[in-house]
This record gives sequence, structure tokens and C-alpha cells, in this order.
Amino acid sequence: MKTSAAIAFTVILIILIGLGTAPHAESHTKSGTAEAAVHAFFDHVKAHDWDDAYAMVNPGDGVSKESFIRDIAGNNGSLKTISSIQKVDTKTLNDSGSEANVRADLQWSTAVGAVHETRDFKLTNSGGDWKLDWSAPQQVPTAADAKPVQTNYLRWDIVQSGASSNEWGVANAEPPRTRIISMNAVDYNGSVVIMGEVVNEDTVPGFVTINADLIGQDGNSLAQESSFDKISHTLLPKEVSPFRIDFPGRKLAEVKSVRISPTNLLVPASADPLVGVFDQHIEKDATGKAVLRGQLTNQSGLVVNIPHVLATFYDKSGKVIWVSDGYLDQALKPNQQVPFAVDLRDDLANQVQNYRVTVNYYNSSRS
Amino acid sequence: MGKPDSEFLNQNCLWAEFVCPPFLKRPTENKRGIQLFSSTPVREYTYGKNESAIASPGMVALLAIAVHGPLLLMQLPAFAAGSQTQMFLAKHYANDWFGLWNSHWFGGFSQTTSAPLTQQVVALLSHVFGITAAYMVTQLAVVVLLALAVYRFARVWTGERTAPIAGIGSIFLGSLALLVYRDGALPATAGTALAIFGASFLYGFARGNEMLSLVKAVLLLIAAACCDSMTAVYGILLFALPTLWLASADSTDEEYGERRSTAATFIRGVIVLAVCAVVSGFILAPFWSSVFHSSHRLLAPDETAGNFLLQGSTALRYWIVPFGFMILALPYLFLSGFAARRTRALFLAFYVALIVGLGATTPVAKYLLGGFENALSVELFTFWATLLALPLVAVLVIELVARYQQRAVVLVWVAAVLTFAAPLAWMTYHPSTENRFRTDYIANFLNRDNHAQFRYLTLGFGSQFAEVASRTNASTVDGIGNGMLPEAREFGVSHLDNAKAYGSAGMEALRAVLKHANQYGLKFIFVRDRYYEPLIAFAGWRQVEAYENGNVTLWSKEDVPPARDLQTHQTLPGIERTLWGVVPLLCLILALLLMIATPERDEEVETMALPPTGTDPIRAQEAI
Amino acid sequence: MTKNFNTLFIILALACAAYAQITVPQQATAGESATLTASSGGTLYLIGPGTAIKRDVKSGEVTLSADDLAYAGRYTAIVNGNAQSLYVSPAKPQKLSFMARPSRVPVAQPNVISGAVFVLDHNDNLVTQPGAVKFELGVTGQAPVSQSVPTKDGIAYIRAASGKREGPAQFTASVGDIVVRRIVQQVASDPCNLRMKAQRSGNDIAVETEPVRDCSGNPVPDGTIVTFIETTNEHGKSTVDARVKHGIAKAMLPAQPGATLTVASGVVLGNEIRWGGQ
Repeated sequence: MKTSAAIAFTVILIILIGLGTAPHAESHTKSGTAEAAVHAFFDHVKAHDWDDAYAMVNPGDGVSKESFIRDIAGNNGSLKTISSIQKVDTKTLNDSGSEANVRADLQWSTAVGAVHETRDFKLTNSGGDWKLDWSAPQQVPTAADAKPVQTNYLRWDIVQSGASSNEWGVANAEPPRTRIISMNAVDYNGSVVIMGEVVNEDTVPGFVTINADLIGQDGNSLAQESSFDKISHTLLPKEVSPFRIDFPGRKLAEVKSVRISPTNLLVPASADPLVGVFDQHIEKDATGKAVLRGQLTNQSGLVVNIPHVLATFYDKSGKVIWVSDGYLDQALKPNQQVPFAVDLRDDLANQVQNYRVTVNYYNSSRS
Repeated sequence: MGKPDSEFLNQNCLWAEFVCPPFLKRPTENKRGIQLFSSTPVREYTYGKNESAIASPGMVALLAIAVHGPLLLMQLPAFAAGSQTQMFLAKHYANDWFGLWNSHWFGGFSQTTSAPLTQQVVALLSHVFGITAAYMVTQLAVVVLLALAVYRFARVWTGERTAPIAGIGSIFLGSLALLVYRDGALPATAGTALAIFGASFLYGFARGNEMLSLVKAVLLLIAAACCDSMTAVYGILLFALPTLWLASADSTDEEYGERRSTAATFIRGVIVLAVCAVVSGFILAPFWSSVFHSSHRLLAPDETAGNFLLQGSTALRYWIVPFGFMILALPYLFLSGFAARRTRALFLAFYVALIVGLGATTPVAKYLLGGFENALSVELFTFWATLLALPLVAVLVIELVARYQQRAVVLVWVAAVLTFAAPLAWMTYHPSTENRFRTDYIANFLNRDNHAQFRYLTLGFGSQFAEVASRTNASTVDGIGNGMLPEAREFGVSHLDNAKAYGSAGMEALRAVLKHANQYGLKFIFVRDRYYEPLIAFAGWRQVEAYENGNVTLWSKEDVPPARDLQTHQTLPGIERTLWGVVPLLCLILALLLMIATPERDEEVETMALPPTGTDPIRAQEAI
Repeated sequence: MTKNFNTLFIILALACAAYAQITVPQQATAGESATLTASSGGTLYLIGPGTAIKRDVKSGEVTLSADDLAYAGRYTAIVNGNAQSLYVSPAKPQKLSFMARPSRVPVAQPNVISGAVFVLDHNDNLVTQPGAVKFELGVTGQAPVSQSVPTKDGIAYIRAASGKREGPAQFTASVGDIVVRRIVQQVASDPCNLRMKAQRSGNDIAVETEPVRDCSGNPVPDGTIVTFIETTNEHGKSTVDARVKHGIAKAMLPAQPGATLTVASGVVLGNEIRWGGQ
């Protein structure tokens, strides 16, 4: 009696453990399909199991294990280094049995929020195992590319006057003069979107934040929002930045006016880094959405850890009709080119006559 | 499998080796007397003295103080996440007992989002000892109470001789050490101790119809429910239902008192449990209201107890270390627990707790715990499993000692000490807060130059989050519990300090809160994890100060207006505030006074000489 | 009985008060002593701007010290219930409180500098008597521009244009021999006549501005952003936000045949170059 009871309880326990463990093992067991192989690959990536992940790829020319890890895990303090894969949705585009193309919608959890990426993988079936073709990333530097880079080393620092008999005017650290040079308000996707451009007209760098207050028909405030990360906060002299402020759940029809209140602050700043934006053009991506693509080129001697691209789109009258942004998951090393793409509203693609891209950045090295 | 050579009038007495597994059996001349332990239920008034018990309750209590006292005097759990939170909440009670609105977290939240009793005890004692020492004193008292509760509980299940061993065993539990010293789970341990006490008194009432037991059981179970929500929902049932089953099983046996109806015995106990549930539900109405009216399910951070089979480190942390050497007793528990009639329900409760304690290794925890599933709840079930196993383990210990004498004693003591030492060693190598840092700089900054008129946020502070909160006058938009801001609630994220552990939902919640910094008056962000720096830099905060050699940085946003009242203040009716402030503590004090005023006498244990049995092994058998 | 006694006492006190007389001077100056005359002894109360004094005095002349009358304004003196008020005028100007803004201003801009002067005596009383404040604004090496502004209620105010040369401008305000100085940094204004040149550099085009100056000929400060734009039909647009260093901004753009190169700084556009691919 007692032995049989013990066996019964043990068996129940084992069954329950099996039920709890089976879903985890499922993805590994049905690796017979190309999609499952992509899932299994990203499972390894999520677990930082680089050996097993590398074992699932067909490395292209110039792809070593180290460069593969740098590519998939990031380096130089890039956004990839502080990201982890959250969700992978796959769709087989074609499968001939020996080769397959799989589109993966990847959701990354990053230090700046959730980032979505759509990536097409080509897989080859070798001996029953699907492997992902992995080519060398575009921006890998070579010795031949190395050339001197310009470094400005220009900095603005704030030195406060310690003298009791202060001879300066109202203050010796007066905020810089900034001006909003264009503004537009639209309804989009259930939100009111306020966008425009701000310029630093002064000769010193400024730290700018723009807050907006929607005033309703009755004169009361409906909602307050700020530009948050949809602006380049640090503006050097004569630098122009776009800004965008979203008011979710609001309609333009209920708004009587918008109160914009920019905040300026004199801050220390550096003239480096210098990033060029080359080959900007609007095209359709693999899913048919309009995107603005281009290449970022670091023309300074400073590594940019996390570049942030802000794109301003203008209509034929020069009015700002949309502002969009995107973070790059790769770091910009000196003299390297890194491709970027930012979304453009499909309904506006035909109206866009001009566009301008500015690059904001975060550097992990503290000055 | 014949009957033993001798027969006893007491048919319900168990042979000392009644559940002896084969590997323990050995031929014996058996010239000695076999120590029998009584399975007599604990009754309020029994007479005689248990001469053969290895320790009296007083000695067990002293041992608990001797083992845990120094560690708690060293304030080992002072910086655990749970203890910091408890002290923070207790500090509010100490300042304003009936004012349940605390403005320091979530831009203002109600203290009723957390069961109050342990915080109130700490608050009360803090006027004498100071807040940290008050916490330690309370925790020590809880450890002592737990040992005494287990003593009493074991007496109900497996008899007088097992009680001191079970009580001593509870002092050395690895699961207890982790809860007390790593997690700072004062409410859970206190609730468990009171629930076990309550369950044992419930037996006295259900079986013996003793009114004093009824009063004690009701008071203790209500107090247990007022300590911890998990104990209120699961713990009390886990300990009380098997005990009720036992009372019912014993109801027709005159050895345990008058014959009574089995159904009546069980129903009587269930009614008591129902009354306790209603009363405690009424007292804690604001708490349950906040729990069940939360429309969004809270996410658990990534560092939850995963599948133990797939994650070795998780198995070590949440199962092997808490069980310690008790793992070796598992085969014995499976073999004997269900086989013996009287311990059948105890084994089943242990079995359920064991399975839920396996966390995501089985699907049971997910279905049973639902929204309560998190690492601490899984740990708590493992704790309960070890406690429920103790009466049976005590039987095993007695067996081992009977067979191997001195060697067994030494080995059992070594196993107990190592089981207790393992979690402490684990904590040394896996501290809950790595590289502790001073928070006085931060508190000083917030408390000077009107900085407290703005709200602040900490990122990556871990358990020291609550330490900052309890030192400063300023209010944070973060907190621990379910009082979070609407932006965080939308993503199901309860603690922004640890946002990255929730994955993309955590970071999106943090973004959403930072977007509304101006509305919340959120000007200052203290960062101890550079992971968060890109987001706050892109969002418009600037680093203005650095502390601790740059490991902690202060970021400020210039355009943020001073914080204003968020208009979320909910004033509870006076009767609810009074019940919340008075009844839990009153129940506890009355229960303790009653227990002290009406001490029980030790059960009498028969020692009977057995005739030699020649080469026949002594069998493990229950007398029929 | 007690009630009657109290009533009698109050009547007697009022009678004494009615009898007591106090005489105050017609003119008093802040920071200078003054004399009152009391017809009977008693308690003197003196209440004025920032002042409340209680003192026992005897009949005859009562001297109020300079400290008692430090602040200008209307005072009330009370002796035994008899009150008289006197007006204390501010003394001669001794200090100027000069607020100038902004501290940094672009050159050649009309009415961008403002200055406000508060004329004060040695006890910081605002000197309300009409007077004149002389303002001067000048950069080293140039003759300052000066203007005299009459004060009204102790305040003189001026709006002035910034000069044409960059550098720290001395902005002074003076009353008699009292002079107060403020510095206003005159900085270059928006770039003017922004011009660039381009030449091939390997596979790229090296673009470089001529020294960037404002319309007054002042070099724009280093760090000013100058945007080089290259547009082609085939490759779209390439931009570099270069920083001015030593008065010149430089950048490298990809060499694309048929490209149009333009330059801008802030809202100012510069010249345009058609790149022929040579």
C-alpha cells in the first residue's frame, strides 16, 4: 500500500514536471522547419548562448565567430549591447525544401524602450538542419579604410563668476535664445500631433525642451505633453532640431489653441561628434511601407554609442508635415557608415517634397 | 507482516518504527524498551510530564533565540528588499497610526495596499527600539513563535516525542533562513507562525470542543490573515484543512476524547474557518478591494522562479538551498506520509505545497496562484512544504536515533546546521544587493533647498529603494505594491526601479511615466544602473551630480514644476480606519495573552518494555 | 465698586491725554537726526517704514537719532495718545542699482539692450527727487555712445541698440560721481554672405566655407553649425552639419556627378555649386 502510494505520487509529480517542461522544449524539438530554426536561433541569442547560435548559421565571407557575436550582441556600447530579444514572429516567404526565406518580426527590449525590427533570413537545409546564412555586417572597418578624421575638440564650459560685485548683466549664464521657426498640428491615429522646428539663434549651446498645452474650446487645459525624445535637446549655435509632441486620445476638433512653452538652458557641450547623413532617399521597404533610408557617416574621432535619427518632412510649401525618429542599434565608429531607415506615413509619402535628417546621440563616456 | 509481539491497550499508539523504510530496518535483539510516542491530540488540560521529550517548549524557544538572536542583532536582514519595505511602511504607522495615506510612494498611496499587522507591531516597538531594531526584535519573536507553533503542530500530528525535534528543526530550516535573511519576509513568516498555531488550536476545538481553543484559534487565524495576503489565501488553508481532516478522523476514536460525529467535527472546524475568513475579510476590506479591483494583471519581473529542470541556478536558489538536507528525507516522506492513516492529510498538504513550490517547473503554480505568482510566493510554498514535512521528518529522526544512536544524533545535528548554513553562504555569494552604497547623500540632497517639493525616481537601487524613501521627505513616483501610477499600471509594471527586469513592458512603462514628468513634478532621477541612462538622456534629463565615485548619478530636468497633489487621495470611512488600526493588533495581543495565561501541560508518554523479538525486525506498522 | 474705580481711571487718563501736546518737524531727512517737542512726559511711540520704537520721554525736546529715521517715508509719533505724523525724505543719491540685460547680445540689433537704474541713498531709500542718469555703452577701442535719461520716481530706463563690433561692451550708468558698470557681451550675429568652395579629395568632395562672418564683418564663433547639402537625382540627398572652427567650416561629401552643393547656417542660405564630376 505504502509503496504503491509513493509510486503514484512520484508518477504524478513526474507527469506535472513533464507538463511544465514540455512547452519549453517544444521549440527545440520541432526544428524540422525553417521557421522553427529561426525561433531556435533567437532562443540561443536570448540566452546569450553564442556557441549554439553560431552553430546554427552558415557564416559568409569574413564572418568569424567573434564578428558574428559582435554583430548579434553589439559592441562599442551600442544599443544592441543593452537589448534583449523579447518576441519573434516568423513567416515563411518561400521554402523549396533545400532553401527557404523567412521573415522575422523581432521585438527587442532595449534601454530606450521596445524596438521593432523586420528582418529577412535566408536559410539553407544541410542534412536536415536548417542554417541561417549570415553575411558580414556592412560597417566592419578595414585597415584600408582607416584615415585621419577631423576632431574639433571644441567645448563650451560654464565658468561661474565667483565675484561678489558681479559686473555681468542680468546674469553671466543667461539661457541662449531659441526660436520656434515652424509649427504644424495634425490629427493622426487617434492623437493630436504637434510638430515643428526650433533653432538656437545664440552663440552658445542650449538645452531645449518643448512643452505643449492643448487648450480646449472652454479655455481650459485639455492635456499637457512634452517633446520627450522626439527632439535633439542639445542645440549648438545655429543648429535646428525638429520636435514632435503627441497627445494620445485627443482630437484637433476639440482644441481651441496650443500653448507652446520652450525651456532653454545654457549647458556645457562639445562640438564633437560630427555625423554626416548620406544618400538620403525615400523608398518602400520589404513590407511595402514608405521609409526614408540613408547612411550615417561618423566624420569625427569620437565613437557614437547610440545614434538617434530625427527626420523632418516638408511639403511643397516648406511646411513641416511630419517628424519621425528611430534609434540605431549599432554604434558609429570613426569613418564608418551605418545604414538607417525611419518610417514615413504612407498617406504622406506623395506630399513630401523635401526632408531633413538630424542626428542626435548618446555617448556612454561621461565627460 | 505480522503484528508485533506485544499488544497494547492503546490501539492508537504507533510503533516507533511504524513507518520505517526498508533501508533503516535491521535485526535487533530489542532488549531495550521501545520508546513509544503518543499520537494523543493536544488538549487544553492534560496532566503529567513528558520525561522522555528531548526538549521542552522553553528550551526550543531558547535555542531559537540562541541561533537567530545573534544574526538578527547583527541586523543581517536589514537591507533585504522586504525588510526595507516593511520598515518604510512601519515608519508611517509610527508617525500616524490611523492616517493611512502615505504620500511618499507612487505620488501618494494608501497603506491599505499591504496587510498591516507586522508593520504595526514594528511601528509600536520602534518607539522603544528605533525602527530597525524594532524590526529585528519582531522578526526574532516570529522565529521563536514559529518554533513553538511547529512544536505544537507536530504534537497534534505525530505525537509528543516528535514535537521538540520538529520545533528544533524549524529553527534550522533553510527555507526560513532565506525568507528571513535574504527576502526580509517578516509578514509571511509571522503569518505562517500564527496560522500554524491557529490550526493546532482549531484541532482542539473541532475534536475536543474546547471553547478556549476556539477563541485562540479564531484570534490567531485572524491575526495570521492580517499579516500576509498569501498566508491569508493559501497558508491558513494549507495548515488548517489537514488539521480539520485529522480532527474528523480522530472524532470517533475515544482515545482523543468523547466520540463525536465526524461530519460535525469537520463542519465545526469549517465554520470557524469561514468566520475567520469573513472577519479578516471585513478588517482587511480596503486591502482586498485594492487587490481585486485592479483591472490590470501585474507582470512579474524576469527574475522569477523559472523551470528548475532547465535552469540549474534557479533550482539551487529556490529548491535545493531551501530544502537543504531535508531532500534526503523525501523518499521517506513519500513512502510513509500517505501510508499512515493519521498523517495522510498532512502528507497531501505537503505534497501540494511541494508541487506549487516547484514554480514554473509544473503548471500547477500558474493555475493555483494566478495573479499571485511570483518568486516570493513560490518560495513561500517551499517554506510551507518544509514546515509541513517537519512532523514526519521528526519521526524519521527518532527512528534514526533509535537505530544508530550517537552517530545518528551527530549526523542529524550536522545536517540541520548545514541546512541552516547553506542559505547564509548562498547569500554571501549571491547577495540581494550587490555593492551596497550609502544613501545619505541622496537623502541629504532631497531634504535640502526645497528639493522635496519635487518628486524623484530611483533606477537600479534594488532593495535600497525603500531605504531612500524612508530617509527623505520627498515623494517618489515609484513604490512597491499595487498602488502604481496609471501609466505603469497600463503595462502591468509594479516597480519602476527595476523596470528593465520586466522587459519591454517595463521600459515602456518607464517611458510613459517619464513622458508625464511635468504633471507629476518628477524632476530628479537617481540612477545606479547605467542601462537607464540613454533613455533619460534622450528624454531631456541632464546629469547634474554624481555620488559614490560616479556609481550613482543624479539627473535633473529643468522645466519641471513643483509636484502637486495628484488628487488620488482616498479617505476611508472612520470605521474602516479604526478596524484596520485596532483589530489586527488586538487579536494578536489577546491571542498571545491567552496562550500565556493558559499554558498547556506536557502530554504523558508511556515507556513500555518490549520483550525481545529475536531475529525478527521491528516492523513499521500502525496498530489497528 | 471696582467697576466704578476703573471707569474713573479711564476718564482721568483720557483727560491727561487730551491735555498732552506733541510737535514734529516739518522736514526730516532719512539717516539724519530730528527733534520733537512733547508738552508732557510719557511714552513715545514712533511707527514708520520698517520702524517701531517705544521709549519713555520727558516733557520738552525729544531727539530722534539718525538710526531711528533710517528709512524714508511717513512716520507717526504718539505721546500719551496724541499722534502727529511727519514725512522723512530720502537723502542724496549714494548708490545705483543697475540692471542690464541681456548679458549676451548679437551685434547691430536695434533696441536689444535694456538698462534700468534705481537711484538710492546710503540707506537704500529710493531717491524720488527728479535727477538724471547718464548711460554709456561702448566697446574697447571705440567711442562709447552715451545718453542722459531723467529719473522718474527714482528710476531711469533705457533701451539701446547693440554696437557693430563684437566683444565685451561696457555699459555704465552714472549719477554725479557715482558710476556703476555692467558688461554686455556683444556677439556675432547671423552669418552673412555665406560662401563655400568645393574640391575633390579622393572619392569625396571636400567642401569648405570662406571665413564665416556676420553682416558687420565679425567672425561667427567657433562651434556654429553650418550645414552642407549635396543633392543628386540618383543618390538623393547627403547632409553634414559641420562646426565652424577658426572661422571656417569643413566637411566631406560623397563625390556624385551632377550633384548640387548648397550651404546653410541656421535660417541663412549660402551659395550653390554644381559638381560636374571632375
